[in-house]
Amino acid sequence: MSSLYDFLETNSMYIVMLIMLIIWIGIFGFMWRLDKKIKKLEKNTKG
Amino acid sequence: MNAFLKISILIIISAVIVFGLILPIPNIPALGDKARVLYFHVPMSWISVIAFFMSMWYSIRYLKTREIDYDIKSFSSAQLGFLFCILATATGSLWAKFNWGSFWNWDPRQTSIFILLLIYGAYFALRSAIDSPEQRAKLSSVYSIIAAVTVPFFVFIMPRIVDSLHPDPIINSQGKINMDTGMLIVFLTSLVGFTLLFLWCLNLKVRTERLSLYNNGGIQD
Repeated sequence: MSSLYDFLETNSMYIVMLIMLIIWIGIFGFMWRLDKKIKKLEKNTKG
Repeated sequence: MNAFLKISILIIISAVIVFGLILPIPNIPALGDKARVLYFHVPMSWISVIAFFMSMWYSIRYLKTREIDYDIKSFSSAQLGFLFCILATATGSLWAKFNWGSFWNWDPRQTSIFILLLIYGAYFALRSAIDSPEQRAKLSSVYSIIAAVTVPFFVFIMPRIVDSLHPDPIINSQGKINMDTGMLIVFLTSLVGFTLLFLWCLNLKVRTERLSLYNNGGIQD
């Protein structure tokens, strides 16, 4: 348990970076999909 | 917005996250590593100012032309400005917890952003209170113009005329940006990346509102 604590303490910046990257890629993926869905709806509406 | 720009946004913001947290920064007294919040907090604030001014611009266009599309753009811009203003408040508040000891201290910066949130909160209350789309567009356009006039006062003037603990004078003394070159590059990249992200969000929001108008015969608040 103490080794895990030490690992988290010494690498805290990298862990924050990893979490931020995962959140950002998730948001990006959501927006990408949303964009595609809107495009499809626009096509159907115009058609 | 084309795929190339979207991929650029992904790469730019990912690079800001990686280099913003890994690149060594000079030791800034009383700030230390907490100064890295600058890469995320300042762009949020910057985008909210841009969004509120864009909302004002589209409101003026609406009042001139009476085209409902400008009202959609004005409303979408104000909504995103409000969202980014909340993000600026939240990132600033988190930083304040670690630097000042508590999340909220009623520092002039915090007070002014709080008043700004109230002003734009009232804008959405006004919009939701009016049923007629034309009346709603007309009144909220006038309100948006008046609200945007107060933005420079609350963001740039008030925190500078009242003593504040905000570290803005450290990086922006005498109107010049005093920043380490590495930090400055990451900071400017962050500004560009988040501005592009805002434009993409605005594009999605406007298109959704247009579809909503087309399908429901009215803009949904």
